[in-house]
Amino acid sequence: MKRDNTVLGLALSKLRYNKSRTLLTGIAIMLTTMLLAAIGTVGVATFDMNKQIYSMSDYHASFNGLTPEQVQILSSHIQVEALNTSETFADIINGKMNGVLYFQETLRDDRADTTGSGIHAQEPAEGHYPEAEDEICSSPIFFRRVGAEPVVGGKVTLSFRVNGKGEILTKEFTISGLLPDVEIDEDIDDSRLMWAAQVSQVLLHEYEKSDLYKPEPSATLRVYGEDELTYDEMEERILSVAADIGLDEADVSLNKEYLFTATDPGTEIIAVVAAISLIVILFSALVIYSIYYVGVITDVQEIGKLKALGASGRQIAKMLSWQGAIISAFAVPLGLLIGFLLPYFLFPLALWVYQSGSAISSYSRDAVMAVVGQLHMFSLPVLLAAAAASLATVAISLRKPIRMAKKISPVEAIRYQENSSDRKSRNGHHEIKVSTLTLANLTRNKRRTTVTILTMGLSCVLFICVSAILSSVSAEDLARRNIPRGDFRISLDYALHDKEYPENNLDSLVQKNYFNDAFLAQLLSIEGVESVEREHGRILSSSNMESTLYEDHENCLQLSYFTRDEVAKLNACLNQGSIDYDRMAANNELVFTNDYYFSQYGLSLGETYSLTLYDGNREIPFTSTLTALATPDNGFPVDLPFLIMTEDTWDSLGLTSDPTTDIYLHVNNAYYDSVKETLRELVSGNEHFTLYALDVEMRVGRSSVGLMRDPLYLLLILIAVIGFINLINTMITSIVTRKKELGILQALGLSDRQLVRMLSGEGLVFTAGTLLISLTLGNFFGWLFYRWAKQEHFMSISRYHYPLRETVGLALVLLAGQTLITLFINKKVKKESLIDRIRNEE
Amino acid sequence: MKKLTDIILKTEDLCKYYGAGDNQVKAVDHVNLEIRQGEFVSIVGKSGSGKSTLLHMLGGLDNPTSGKVFIDGENIASFKEEKLSKIRRRKIGFIFQAYNLIPSLNVWENIVLPLGLDGKPLDESYISDIIRTLGLSDKVRNLPNTLSGGQQQRCAIARAIAAKPSIILADEPTGNLDTRTGDETMSLLKTSAAKYGQTLVVITHNEEIAQMADRTIILADGRILSSGESEVAIDEER
Repeated sequence: MKRDNTVLGLALSKLRYNKSRTLLTGIAIMLTTMLLAAIGTVGVATFDMNKQIYSMSDYHASFNGLTPEQVQILSSHIQVEALNTSETFADIINGKMNGVLYFQETLRDDRADTTGSGIHAQEPAEGHYPEAEDEICSSPIFFRRVGAEPVVGGKVTLSFRVNGKGEILTKEFTISGLLPDVEIDEDIDDSRLMWAAQVSQVLLHEYEKSDLYKPEPSATLRVYGEDELTYDEMEERILSVAADIGLDEADVSLNKEYLFTATDPGTEIIAVVAAISLIVILFSALVIYSIYYVGVITDVQEIGKLKALGASGRQIAKMLSWQGAIISAFAVPLGLLIGFLLPYFLFPLALWVYQSGSAISSYSRDAVMAVVGQLHMFSLPVLLAAAAASLATVAISLRKPIRMAKKISPVEAIRYQENSSDRKSRNGHHEIKVSTLTLANLTRNKRRTTVTILTMGLSCVLFICVSAILSSVSAEDLARRNIPRGDFRISLDYALHDKEYPENNLDSLVQKNYFNDAFLAQLLSIEGVESVEREHGRILSSSNMESTLYEDHENCLQLSYFTRDEVAKLNACLNQGSIDYDRMAANNELVFTNDYYFSQYGLSLGETYSLTLYDGNREIPFTSTLTALATPDNGFPVDLPFLIMTEDTWDSLGLTSDPTTDIYLHVNNAYYDSVKETLRELVSGNEHFTLYALDVEMRVGRSSVGLMRDPLYLLLILIAVIGFINLINTMITSIVTRKKELGILQALGLSDRQLVRMLSGEGLVFTAGTLLISLTLGNFFGWLFYRWAKQEHFMSISRYHYPLRETVGLALVLLAGQTLITLFINKKVKKESLIDRIRNEE
Repeated sequence: MKKLTDIILKTEDLCKYYGAGDNQVKAVDHVNLEIRQGEFVSIVGKSGSGKSTLLHMLGGLDNPTSGKVFIDGENIASFKEEKLSKIRRRKIGFIFQAYNLIPSLNVWENIVLPLGLDGKPLDESYISDIIRTLGLSDKVRNLPNTLSGGQQQRCAIARAIAAKPSIILADEPTGNLDTRTGDETMSLLKTSAAKYGQTLVVITHNEEIAQMADRTIILADGRILSSGESEVAIDEER
């Protein structure tokens, strides 16, 4: 007992003596705990948020393309717990507005409690759902949008096409009810929004009777067993219900998010949390290890003296363990507290900021806002696990240094001069310069130098790696998908194959020459417009061959061209085949640009297809071989036609109509707003035009990348802080332990300036080594990480951006940090007089 | 023989006090002394008499509380650190009891270190001559921790005289050595200093070494008891 007290006393006095080392270890442990607790807490919050949000749409699957008979069977199926059907009755025709008239009803719900269930339609805030033939119900904003006053009993006249085709009909409706209002950013282009209003079943029946409407109901449903079955079993059950009514699997879409959250205690989130935690643990362990490792090397003599005085290896081990335990006793609880409070306040804030910036899906915005206030974040097991993981990290980091300390022999230790023990001589340099001193010190303990460079390097590898991803998450990339060039894009809205209104089809629209020279000249005359550019034109092509390829597009595909200059860009994203401009031009060959549809429709390279190309009314027969599959994702419009040919081939078609569908405007920034206003007016005059503005696209892009990116940046900064602690520790140890030696050098005439040069020289080598490792490995892994992210569509990454800012920042911080720390410690050391430093026999 | 008239080292009312009030310790108390160029002076006194403090102030390693130290007629007490380090590497060679070699540098590098710090070209034959004189020729590539105490101290001596300083200050250079090695080392030091015309100031407890000096200064409680102008010096002056 008493002996233990002595060891504990030793540990305590050691902690007090090496104040800076104690502080650094404490900060490192605190940050580790904090990171782990914060990651865990964010995981808990995310899980809870998903659960709450997804339970708002708590159906298990939706069945599409049903017949009324199938709906009938479903409503009495033994395994169906709840059933809601909806029918899209007609498309609303109102300028550029995208909207539908629909009908939905809940046919069955066997559950005792259905409050808050999303499978039920929300009750109108005012009035009731449509019952009579001319009744309609939607949110007030819908009625305002179509120019009607949003009051129950009010009248609204709408034009629509039943089943989305056929003649345009116009009808006057009476507003029977109003749904809760939603807010929508007015700057968002109409083409981005989807409007809907509910009509009555009576109306549908009437049109059905006169053969004007063919019902194609879809259903959302719940099956029994949510609480007992696993995800796979639920899926199996849903598919068996579909099979029972003779529905194809392709028409079943599972509500995966909800099913995941309902059947599974968040395995996916746990996996992500565990993976990030593991990286943090690994990395922190490395830093804490390196602090203790350097500590033991520094304390060799002292440990040796203790041993000479009779301390056993076990007692030395105990002393070191006590040090770890005492520091942890302070650092871990503090880390837990901050680690919990940080996400507790920041998570809802981040969600709020994100949601207020995004109005694309008003549904999810309202849903998120509803749950933000009541998120459940506190989880004792998670915090305990964070504490345990953190303590384990300390224990693991201490193992090797303790083993080393146990092995130190008293004699060796007292004679020990910090030096690589087995080296007897050194070739050295004929003449001594400051740089010789720097190098001599670095090579004296190669292992320590290596450990330091490696730990710092690895932390920076992580930094660069994550930076590569974060810098590739670019709002501009997202924006550039809609506006590949310039500041504005005016796009032609066209259909591919509308039988009732063929004048809206591309082949008809191109004959109107909307984007003729006069129009372009008009655009150029707007003050501030610097240039106007036509996008590559596109025409329709069709084929009468038997291929599923054409089914979805009713025999029509668009076709465009690429220039000789674009070959390199295409080759960069070549999946199969080869692209040789001259060969392709000579043989009229084609490139396909979408790998999904390529395999979906069973195309193959080398196959010859015969097509009909439409130049207005003229039909051009065209036979071509498909020789390459390339999937360009940047520098090309996002809706690039699937088929592209060479510009030479295109020119040889001798088109008589203007195939331009998109134009880009480059404007002077000073006139941006006024140009935007003018363009809006101009575009509103033509129902076939859609205007895309860069600022709006950027805003949309930013709000969709922000939520994911910002917390990761926070993580990145914390990683950097832990790495920096390692750096500070190295510099402090390296100077403090050589206090005497540096004193001697000064006694021999080393000037202050030379001393600083020598020390910063050492720092420079550390920086250079660190940068070398982080730039080689970091960039390599960063690239791999990017490839993976792109493939998995992680955070909509589509393009690699080299993290230049982060790299330069890292180099500067390392350099500046090292220099400042060196100067600071050197100044502190110099407070002691030169002679005291030389006498210093630690 | 060289004339011993030029005063190379001189102190005026040199004081070094530690602490304040009742606890004040006067390590060096109003010391006035003059040392001539080429002279070999030993300083003796009991532990705590202020020998080392005095020596450190003579070499610009420690700042006096008051008083002046003149090297070649310049008061170094007023010098800034940068100029002081220049004085140290050009005019003064230090030899410590604990050798204080730089562990990461080999013997050759340790010896040429002060020259390197000054950016001076190496006088190779001169350095080789010193190394030969001190018997370190086959050790030039060794690291200090592989040398015996005597060898380490000889290396320290070589380092002290390599830059041809005018003054060599030695703080118990033989204190860590056995008698025989100590005697050998001391005579080597004396021979070298004489050979290169350097002033030698040695702190010692060793009676024999004190005897070897041109004169012996005796210190007690920070004050000079005797500045021991030896006969030789006085004769020479006449």
